[in-house]
Parts: sequence; C-alpha cells; structure tokens
Amino acid sequence: MPTPGDAKPSRPRGSYDTVSETAAVPGTLDAMRWLWTPAWIARHVAMVVLVVGFLGLGWWQISRAAAGNSLSWGYAVEWPIFAGFVVYVWWREVRLARRNAEGAAEPAADPADAPTVEPPPAATIGARPAVRRPVRVARVPVDGVPGDDTDLAAYNDYLSWLNANPGARPGDYPG
Amino acid sequence: MGAALTRYRVIAWIVGVVLILLVVVGMPLKYAFDNPVVVETVGPAHGFLYMIYLVAAFDLSRRADWPLKRMLLVMLAGTVPFVSFYAERRVTAWLDRPVTRTPEPVAS
Repeated sequence: MPTPGDAKPSRPRGSYDTVSETAAVPGTLDAMRWLWTPAWIARHVAMVVLVVGFLGLGWWQISRAAAGNSLSWGYAVEWPIFAGFVVYVWWREVRLARRNAEGAAEPAADPADAPTVEPPPAATIGARPAVRRPVRVARVPVDGVPGDDTDLAAYNDYLSWLNANPGARPGDYPG
Repeated sequence: MGAALTRYRVIAWIVGVVLILLVVVGMPLKYAFDNPVVVETVGPAHGFLYMIYLVAAFDLSRRADWPLKRMLLVMLAGTVPFVSFYAERRVTAWLDRPVTRTPEPVAS
C-alpha cells in the first residue's frame, strides 16, 4: 500500500513493463509492440523453426509412405499434429502474457477481491476475475465437542452486543 | 492440481515404458535381428501416446503456473528414454506437497 505522501506512483512488484507505459490503442500495431522484445522474437523464431521442421518431417514421412513404407503413414499423420501443437502452445503463451499485461496495466481495485489462493507469479491478475476457476477450499469441520455450542452462542451474544453498542469497551459487557 | 498431476504421472509412466520398449526391445529386434514387428506396432502408438503426454504436461504446467522454459523441458524429457521417469519424479516432488488440512472451526 502506498502511503499518502508517497511521491512515486505505486506499481505491482516486479511487473514493470512497457505495456502499461505506452498508452497505445488496443488493436493497433503499437499495442502489439511488446511482442517484439528479444525474448519474444526468440519464441517466435523457435515456433516457426519447429513448425517448419515438423511439417518437413511430416512431408518426408509422406514421401517414404508413398515409396512403400507403410509404417510411415502413422508418422505422416503425427508430425503435422505436433506442428499444430507448437502453434497452439505459442498462441496460449501470447494470450497469457497479454492477459497478465492487461492486468498490470489496470490494477485491481482491491487486492482482497482477487479470487485466488496462490499469489500470481509475475503480474497481478485482476481485471478478469471471470476467467479464473472457482476456488474450492477443503473445510475440515472440527470434531463435535460437547459444550462448543453454548460457548459459541455466548460469544455470538457478546459480538452482537458489541455491534449494538459501538462505543462500548469489552469490559463494559454486562453478560 | 491433484487430478492434473495424477493424469500427468499416469501418462508419463505409460510413455516412458513404451519408449523403453521401443528402444530397448524394438530397435535391436529390427536392426540386429531384422524383425521389425515391435517397431511397427509400438512406434506409431508411442507417437500418439506422446501427444497425450504433451497435453497432460501442458495442462499441468498451466495449472501450476510454470514458466515456459520449465514446461518445455518437462515436455522434452518425455522423449528421452529413462529420463522421462526422472522427470516425472521431479515434477511430482515439485507439486505433490502434502496438503495441510488444519481443522477449521465451522459455525453451522
């Protein structure tokens, strides 16, 4: 939390990026500039190399199959699927990074509202709580101890008394 | 997380066993004894099983919020005979922390 007198703008830790800096219009090339960093270029190149290589291997297996190697038909089917999987992983990675960037660009209104148990690694989530999975928490009830219920009822009475008397101190409780 | 890890472990074990079968049994049979029957049957099957392995590893890595590099390493490890078992154990050690189920007072 930034203190009121803090001069520096607050920023999610470790997520300083150019995406939130540039006020680029979404959907323009300017908004896509973050895909052109060296790390991302390496990923694009790796994706293209793998896809071309896998398709080439598939073509090679097709030619072998056509030459009479019946075993190659199976591999001829598999290599293009692997190529498609590479594209899929690349696309998911782009989408994930874009989502994280959007979350960092517009910080969540209240961190307590973030519906996750584990803190996100790099960037904040926020902005899109709808896409997160619902969190299921395993609740283990305490074994029923006799006497618990009366204690609980007394405590609840005490709490409601505190609530009804906002200015009262705990020592004033008559009960 | 638990179910995704179990799916990954099951398919990793299957792919590892099939890969060893292919390399240790099938290839010597084909190239030394000129009997390609194991390679012909197990080879393409391994390819399709490896696809399932990739999907399971991808699913697990997304749920565990792994960085891309770790995900790719785990995927690649499935292609190396014997290393796939080591990778499966490493992944399990990373993720399979015992869940502490501390009793929580429930006002019901």
